[in-house]
Amino acid sequence: MITRSRRRLISATVRYAILSIWGVVAFFPIYWMVSTSFKPDIQWFAWPPVYFPDPPTLTNYMNVWLGAEQYDQTQYAISSQTPLVSLWNTTVIAFSSTFLAVAFGSVLAYGVSRYRILSEARMFQLLMLRMIPPIVVVAPLSLYYSALGLLDTRIGVIMVYFLTTLPYAVWMTKSFIDEVPREVEQAAEILGASRWRTVFEIVLPLIRSGLVATFLFILILTWSEYLLALIITKTQVSTLPIELSKYQGSTEGRVYGRQAALAVGITIPLMVVGLIIRKHLARGFSFGMIRR
Amino acid sequence: MARIELINLNKSFGAVQAVKNLNFTIEDGEFVVFVGPSGCGKTTTLRMIAGFEDPTSGEIRIDGRVINDLEPRDRNLGMVFQSHALFPHKNVAQNIEFGLRMKKVPPEERGRRVREVADMVRIGHLLGKMPAQCSGGESQRVALARTLVTNPSTFLLDEPLSSLDAKLRRELRAECDRLHQVLKRTFIFVTHDQEEAMTLADRIVVMRDGEIVQVGSPMEIYSNPVNYFIADFFGSPSMNLVAGEVVRNNGVAHFRSALFDIPLPGRLSSAGTGKGTLGIRPEHVGINIIGKTGTALPVRLVEPLGKDTLLYFDAGTDRAFVAVSEGLDMADTKIGERLTLSLDERRMHLFDEQGLSIRGT
Repeated sequence: MITRSRRRLISATVRYAILSIWGVVAFFPIYWMVSTSFKPDIQWFAWPPVYFPDPPTLTNYMNVWLGAEQYDQTQYAISSQTPLVSLWNTTVIAFSSTFLAVAFGSVLAYGVSRYRILSEARMFQLLMLRMIPPIVVVAPLSLYYSALGLLDTRIGVIMVYFLTTLPYAVWMTKSFIDEVPREVEQAAEILGASRWRTVFEIVLPLIRSGLVATFLFILILTWSEYLLALIITKTQVSTLPIELSKYQGSTEGRVYGRQAALAVGITIPLMVVGLIIRKHLARGFSFGMIRR
Repeated sequence: MARIELINLNKSFGAVQAVKNLNFTIEDGEFVVFVGPSGCGKTTTLRMIAGFEDPTSGEIRIDGRVINDLEPRDRNLGMVFQSHALFPHKNVAQNIEFGLRMKKVPPEERGRRVREVADMVRIGHLLGKMPAQCSGGESQRVALARTLVTNPSTFLLDEPLSSLDAKLRRELRAECDRLHQVLKRTFIFVTHDQEEAMTLADRIVVMRDGEIVQVGSPMEIYSNPVNYFIADFFGSPSMNLVAGEVVRNNGVAHFRSALFDIPLPGRLSSAGTGKGTLGIRPEHVGINIIGKTGTALPVRLVEPLGKDTLLYFDAGTDRAFVAVSEGLDMADTKIGERLTLSLDERRMHLFDEQGLSIRGT
């Protein structure tokens, strides 16, 4: 006869065992990335595998990010552009396209939520746009871009990111605007506030956390976008995901340590942004923040 | 000053006509209550006055000026919503101050007026709190203060008390009444609660299916309902309504149902024969009055309320026949006991087959 408390203990043990295994499976690649980035080159492929870099070295980081002296000696000169330039490109492109998407998306969403400027069907079609695989549109897109002279320019990448993330921005911000009771706005209006004043003083502060959550969500997409960037950029503008792929080519071989060092560098900025705004994220992702 | 005229006012939502050809004038300083079941068009009417809905046709005038095309903010009205609609991210003082800020009142004066109205509705101690920290009753007082401070010509109140519990409702009802007397402004109050309407209104407007059914003082509506619906809607406990028919015996009109056979009083004697409903309020039903003859019915339920006792009789219909007895003298009445009832013929109502009241001549 198994007692109640014993059964609970067993079920908890099983639960935690499964979760722990899953945790290891999920986090191992991240651990491996960080660990590899600190390994000297002979340990990248070593068998049996080296779990802890011995001795840990910053060579990979120096080479990749700073183009240090060893760069030429080890003959791993892979990209024509240094990653710092790519980092700058990625930052400019990701932040501006995300800002545009959230700004335009929330205005559009306000119109949808309050004035029904788009029907349910149109809203769904908007999201459907995202269901077209990007690979389908890259060929015509690169033709257009070539004709317009937007190929291999930052503004070109910003525009395409802005357009492809706009549907997400509209859908997400709309759900936050819907949460703001109509009567709260009407109360402001009858007290003498203009429509713009109502939006800026009442609606926006109330959905601030939602906007921040939407911003981060879209930033993650634009920060790590690869396929479109690959097609519409060449040599002038390169983003970090493109740089990352260059370390695994047919001619260069597999430069794991360098690639890992670059990957860590790509990940950290997003994590920093996430940490800065985490207070808003928790509130933004838990809907129903306004007491009715 | 605010005299509000509604002229041939119509509002449709798609195929649904929410308000049908409304004509009504609210006098300056009057307390008018729009009352009716949900979906009767009362809130839509209020929202058209406020400017949140455009009339499909018709005019709204304030002091003779057509305001159909004015924005809500230009109508000089104040509105209190059922949901309070406080700004959740602003504290109580900032909520109250909002309207003054929009009207560009200088800061020192704003502070003074905020404290003034806060004291007026007794929320001076709440000024630093956030709306989420206020109880339902407190929130509604804040909403009142926020409206009061802008000194509107007319107060529009959209079921402001319906989200509160019974005790708070009574308390805030008294508050509304007091404010109306102090401010001498026009009040338009929308509710589905007949008791609120009865206690607050100078005039009650009863609406049903988008139309005005009856307008009158609370006493007029209570004593002379124009139809069955209003007779049933006003009063608690509601009017006894007995279905039966009007017959003539040797030229004398009688009302007859399964249990009653009552000669109709002279003023109702002109009623045509046929189906009809007899109405009488519980307080006009006498119990066991010595020397009077009447109909004897068995008691089904006794409700001692303290001040009165309600007796529910089995009248052979779904609805019990209710009588009120003052005090607790009848509280020990046994279930099943038969008591003789006599109906005060001066207070009898008769409704024809369509439910319209047959008015005495």
